[in-house]
Amino acid sequence: MKAPSIVATAVIRVLCLGTAVGTAAALTPVLIAGRHYVFLAIVWAVIAVVLATYATARAVPAKYLVPGTLLLILFIVVPVLSTLQLSTTNYGDGTRTTRQETVERILANSVVQVPDSPKFNLSVATTGSPASGPITFFLVDQKSGALYSGTEAGLAPLERSAVTVTDNFVSAATGYTILTPLQVNAAADRLRDFTVPTGNGAIRQRGLHEAYEGRRTLQYDQGTGTITNTVTGVRYTTAREGDREYFVGPDGTRLSDQSWRSDVGLANYRRAFTDQHILSGFTRIFIWNVVFATASVALTFLVGLGLAVTLNDSRVRGQKVYRSVLLLPYAIPGFISILVWSGFYNQDFGLINQITGLHVNWLGSALWAKVALLLTNLWLGFPYMFLVSTGALQAIPSDLREAASIDGAGGFTAFRRITFPLLLVAVTPLLVASFAFNFNNYNVIELLTHGGPFSPGNPDAGATDILISYTVRLAFGGNGAQLGFAAAIATLLFAITAIMAAAQYRITRRLEEMN
Amino acid sequence: MSTGRWWREVGWRHGVGLVAVLFAVVPVAYVVSAAFNPLGTVASTGVIPKHLSLENFAALFDDPARPFARWLLNTLVVCVVVTGVQVFCSALAAYAFSRLRFRGRRGGQLSLLLIQMFPQFLAVIALYSMFTAIGEVVPALGLNTLLGYSLVLLGGSLGQVWLIKGFFDTIPRQLDEAAVVDGAGHATIFFRIILPLARPVLAVTGLLAFVSVIGEFLMASIFLTDTQAKTLAVGLYGIIAADRSNNLGVFAAGALLTALPVVLLFQFLQRYIVGGLTSGSVKD
Amino acid sequence: MKSTRRQRVPERRGALRGRHGLAGAATVVLFALVACSGGGSDAGGSPDAATPAGSPGASDAPSRQDADLVIWTTEPASRAVTPIAKKFGQENGISVAVQVIASDLAANAITANAAGNGPDIVTLPNDFLGGALQNGAVAPLSLTADDLSAYDEGAVTSVTRNDQVWALPYGTENLVLYRNTDAVAKAPSTVEDLVGTGQAAVGKGKVKRALALPVGQEGDAYHLYAFFSSAGGSLFGKKPDGQYDPEQVGIGDEASVKAAQKIAALGEKGSKVLSRSIDGTNAIAQFTEGKSAYLVSGPWALADIRKSEVSYDITPIPGFQGEAPAAPFLGVQAFWTLSNAKNPAFAEEFVTKTMNTPEAMTAMYDEDPRPPARTDVLKAVSAKDPDMAKLAAGAKNASLLPDFPFMAGVWPALSQAFASIVGGEDPAATMTSAGTAIRSAVTAP
Repeated sequence: MKAPSIVATAVIRVLCLGTAVGTAAALTPVLIAGRHYVFLAIVWAVIAVVLATYATARAVPAKYLVPGTLLLILFIVVPVLSTLQLSTTNYGDGTRTTRQETVERILANSVVQVPDSPKFNLSVATTGSPASGPITFFLVDQKSGALYSGTEAGLAPLERSAVTVTDNFVSAATGYTILTPLQVNAAADRLRDFTVPTGNGAIRQRGLHEAYEGRRTLQYDQGTGTITNTVTGVRYTTAREGDREYFVGPDGTRLSDQSWRSDVGLANYRRAFTDQHILSGFTRIFIWNVVFATASVALTFLVGLGLAVTLNDSRVRGQKVYRSVLLLPYAIPGFISILVWSGFYNQDFGLINQITGLHVNWLGSALWAKVALLLTNLWLGFPYMFLVSTGALQAIPSDLREAASIDGAGGFTAFRRITFPLLLVAVTPLLVASFAFNFNNYNVIELLTHGGPFSPGNPDAGATDILISYTVRLAFGGNGAQLGFAAAIATLLFAITAIMAAAQYRITRRLEEMN
Repeated sequence: MSTGRWWREVGWRHGVGLVAVLFAVVPVAYVVSAAFNPLGTVASTGVIPKHLSLENFAALFDDPARPFARWLLNTLVVCVVVTGVQVFCSALAAYAFSRLRFRGRRGGQLSLLLIQMFPQFLAVIALYSMFTAIGEVVPALGLNTLLGYSLVLLGGSLGQVWLIKGFFDTIPRQLDEAAVVDGAGHATIFFRIILPLARPVLAVTGLLAFVSVIGEFLMASIFLTDTQAKTLAVGLYGIIAADRSNNLGVFAAGALLTALPVVLLFQFLQRYIVGGLTSGSVKD
Repeated sequence: MKSTRRQRVPERRGALRGRHGLAGAATVVLFALVACSGGGSDAGGSPDAATPAGSPGASDAPSRQDADLVIWTTEPASRAVTPIAKKFGQENGISVAVQVIASDLAANAITANAAGNGPDIVTLPNDFLGGALQNGAVAPLSLTADDLSAYDEGAVTSVTRNDQVWALPYGTENLVLYRNTDAVAKAPSTVEDLVGTGQAAVGKGKVKRALALPVGQEGDAYHLYAFFSSAGGSLFGKKPDGQYDPEQVGIGDEASVKAAQKIAALGEKGSKVLSRSIDGTNAIAQFTEGKSAYLVSGPWALADIRKSEVSYDITPIPGFQGEAPAAPFLGVQAFWTLSNAKNPAFAEEFVTKTMNTPEAMTAMYDEDPRPPARTDVLKAVSAKDPDMAKLAAGAKNASLLPDFPFMAGVWPALSQAFASIVGGEDPAATMTSAGTAIRSAVTAP
């Protein structure tokens, strides 16, 4: 066996590393310009790791571990850490904006048209460049046809001779550039703040071609942090309700349902541990969660292994056909088959009751819904176990089995004594992984039963809910998205999963040591 | 062989096999029947096809509001990229865990196992923000891009490490040791000896990865909202979510075409899987 | 309005939102290293992938894939909006993109808008308003109620809040009773009449069941509410100004129990007219396949029904004998402009000028038949399509669909209660516990 030429390896290495460094270098100015400093740090940290790993001949294990691990860190670990950070905020529906953004939005939304005020045909003009020059509004009163020019200084009548008017719009003016629709649109941010003050309010742009006289009825006082209604004189101060703050009037009415983002420390965790509504369903759901995951793994493994053992016999003809057909459930993407299965369970029109002649209300009864769930999950999962078991069976050196049969061990004894333990060693990590997968198998629950059936008293905790579907509903259902709270729940769920996984890992290790 | 003995030793196996085949096939038959049913409704569909019409397939391809061909292409791109990178990264890491001795190996495996248990979906809020920000810098990697979505899935790029490591462990060490004596370095051993021997398990894990990517729905539904950027999973879900009773036929037709590449891939790879993981040079 | 048949599917996409700071463009590099391939795959001209306006460097980004006007809508509204938007684009020399968002459009719009990569315009029903305001997601239109005098009063009210108009209504939707005229010749005047004639038709073998009304395992508050309201039940009481008062939860009171008993009598342990097997996925098909004498549904069912061979008529949903008339919910489909729109001028121009015309509203009706919210257009289309007038007549006693943000927690509780009652659970106990759940959803933080 010839080793690849040292020169070729070196060239490839230099090329790849060069591309990496080059890309990072190309990104750097963009990142600096965009002030994405965290990004920048991560990019160069990755480069440093890559260089340290591949530029030298040392750290051989790292050369094999770095690619996958980097991806894992960037797209699992970093998001998890960021979730952790999110879990200490009140972020969610109603708190997606900062306080400042909320104030701006509330004020902007308070502009109303001055009653009986005229509307104008608008041409936006500038003496400078369309992108940054000072803005002037050329206005034609839609009723009277009177001409005005407006700037931030105010409104002034305009001589008809100074401009060209086409179809009641100012279409040209000496010394001015009239902005095209595209330019008006591009200047949206500036135009949003541009108003022409008048006695009653100010003239504002509306759409591309129109302006109206509007009045802002709310005013923000930077010093006291309060908002005052200039018409009624009512003052709105900041008041806390639950984990969020609002602007509230003296009689307790909210000015707006819009709150803002703030840090709440461990409040989300406190809520998870003290809210009776949440706790009430927890124990029952946790038990079912464990049962569901265990039963799913056990059923799929037993069926898959049984079939593998049954069919993995050289005398069975058509093994290829069997394998092809038995893997069909696996070849159909899960979301498709789960949706199809959910239709099968309809009491009156579903395939299962039609074929069997039963009249079971599958998804309406807590017990049958669980059976339905396990049956569907068996269908979805047994081909994988069949595949894995077949592979593992064939990986067991046949001389071992031959040796066993020479020793006089019968079929089943040989299987129990030799094949099965060896096979178990090979598949235990997969069983653990399968347990973890099913422990948080949101897909099958959500698409098949939605966690139901539910009771009217607690429409948040269904009979087939597992922790993840329950918590997703708590976090995103009910009162809209509560993302900070959701993040806290996700963190707790991660802790639970990790503890279960660690426990299983110990068992795996013991098994490994046994052999 | 007498019939009695045949039945005792082989026949019953066919019995069991047929029951399993029936269980496996009925829902699939339903999908097939629905796909060829020109009425395309739930009520008119049974397990046994009553009609044979390609209407639903035609409908899949002539509505610009659901560019099925585009979705198929998107899905294949994502599947190939993610499967390739995942199997390669997993094989690399599996080699380290199986053959190399280094400090923190045990701890590394344990942490990897723990991290892999974390359902990525739970961090979806953070991932969404992350890719919003990435998209601002590199639009080709942001939301609604196939590359961005592939990267999200590549968080699980070590997903196949255990299966591959299990297989590597069964490859006799004498092979590597002999190569070392011949003066081969670690890279040579990995690429020239281990990987070729591991073709069967690479095929199997590749298939597993492919299947999980093609069926990935949760992340795709969040990251790919643009019609043109969708994968089959989100696209087809949209069809059936819009009107289940009437769109069953079109959905089933799409489902069938989605499943087809996987079935073909399996048939194509079957010789690796069936050819036996022990055959070939391993034994010699 | 299918969206308001409250599905339990959590609006998880509401979950998402951009929060800058944590990130990792590093992967570009990594990708170059691992796959040694460039960015060959194109994302399909996705407007969302581009840089939001306003962020540094956005204006000189090399190739903005972005369209100058991005509209998110649903099938079939997109079929009407697309040609209108294309024409608008040609007139103004800009590119437009009309995108169909298959699911959770409202949550998607709020999320994407907050992250700065949302559309400029969305089409959604009026119950979007509460959540949109809570999240500061929509921008008011500078239309006054006066500008909207050509529109149905209820429709205008539904999109007006705090002296501002937040959307341009285009179509109304409410539940009506579709009747298979081959099975039952005369429209029923009461629920009892409906049950009697429906069951008689079953008895004669003309149909398999009397009524298709979606209930499902998790219930369907939206569809059952018409019967419930006729029997005296109400979700919320009303303030003196006619607005819903969330402090007066009607579920669990005596009237609601009485109404629930009337519904139970129609359920699986009563006359079996209502069944949990009938749900949103099969109700319309039951009717279009000629298996059901009656169907309770909205304008969205019309296209399917017309395609089928069933001869039908449309009448308002009847009330129970001697009780109040049935009051289904009135939903209003509308155009909304988003607060973080990248193209606010085009968005406002498109909504307040281009769509705000009889021609555009007629086009909406042509592609997606439902009663137009513009009264002149409704009149015109009703002349050639009597179904529109009949659908609109079903709204006579309708009450506006509540838009409180906490409705997401209220619908599942009420729906589940209805499903349980249809399934034979005790009406009084069920209503009481649902009332508790609803009150806790209303008062939750």
